[in-house]
Amino acid sequence: MATGLIRRAISRVQVTSQAARLLVGRSHASDAKAQPVESKPNLKSFQIYRWNPDNPGKPELQEYKIDLKECGPMVLDALIKIKNEIDPSLTFRRSCREGICGSCAMNIDGCNGLACLTKISSDSESTITPLPHMFVIKDLVVDMTNFYNQYKSIEPWLKRKTPAPTPGKEIPQSKSDRAKLDGMYECILCACCSTSCPSYWWNPESYLGPAALLHANRWIMDSRDEYTQERLDAINDEFKLYRCHTILNCSRACPKGLNPGKHIQNIKRLELSS
Amino acid sequence: MGASSGPRRLSGMQKQVLALYRGFLRAARSKPAEERKQIESVVCSEFRKNSKQVDRKNFIYIEYLLRRGKKQLDQLKSPDTVGLSSLSVDSS
Repeated sequence: MATGLIRRAISRVQVTSQAARLLVGRSHASDAKAQPVESKPNLKSFQIYRWNPDNPGKPELQEYKIDLKECGPMVLDALIKIKNEIDPSLTFRRSCREGICGSCAMNIDGCNGLACLTKISSDSESTITPLPHMFVIKDLVVDMTNFYNQYKSIEPWLKRKTPAPTPGKEIPQSKSDRAKLDGMYECILCACCSTSCPSYWWNPESYLGPAALLHANRWIMDSRDEYTQERLDAINDEFKLYRCHTILNCSRACPKGLNPGKHIQNIKRLELSS
Repeated sequence: MGASSGPRRLSGMQKQVLALYRGFLRAARSKPAEERKQIESVVCSEFRKNSKQVDRKNFIYIEYLLRRGKKQLDQLKSPDTVGLSSLSVDSS
């Protein structure tokens, strides 16, 4: 909500290690042949969204310069380096560093993605802001409660009317039925898709968003689930489902390569025939 | 004099803050008596402190406090929550 109030506060903070060593190494001409050639630091500046609820003012973009030669390839490596060496007050969520937990979802250079999976681009500047149109708790941490409540509202668990065919054992499912769930079960609930959808920006409380609808389809398409018609009726609502206008920003943003737009189309197709 | 007596017009945000305050006091009523006094004193002092310190036009911060307060109220309303206490840390 605060994206319209960003003001650039340029505070140049340099990583000093490489530069200082470079100056000291060249001081004596006689030692020149014994010194190994020092490489120039490859500096890149990151403009990172900062807002502190303890000293509340307007949110700002703060600049940090990082030597890419001393940093890992991913944006998360840069953020951790900034937090360790330059500014410990930088706040962001992270956990697995391998793109499976979905904690580090943020907006990098205008595109939503996971910081641990996004390579640092070779441009001289990058802008990192929190997921768009989400309430900010601090710096890059956003309030995900509405997103999680929408996921909870579609009842993402197996519901059956009849007991399992062999009680105490798993409900059998053919390989082809299990293959129908591919492309939906991998969703890690990072919220990159929902926060990239303009329709979700304008109606976050009433529209469920691509992530929740993807999971709704996952349970609708599950052959073991017997409440298919009830699930379809629950989301057959002008706001919950039909705010989707196939903008397809969701499929573009998904860091796991899933296609929520296709699955929402599947739900709409099923609603027509039911 | 010129001072406006009678009902003052409250903005939407002011109404939300008052509704939150009312919600806290109502939740406190459902708790045991000793805890109820503690809850009321903590909530009352926090709201009073914020009303004096926070600038009326700082909408972002007020909305942040409202969201935080609503979450705390939901936690307080649950029957498992017995009471609340607050700890103030001097940021110096």
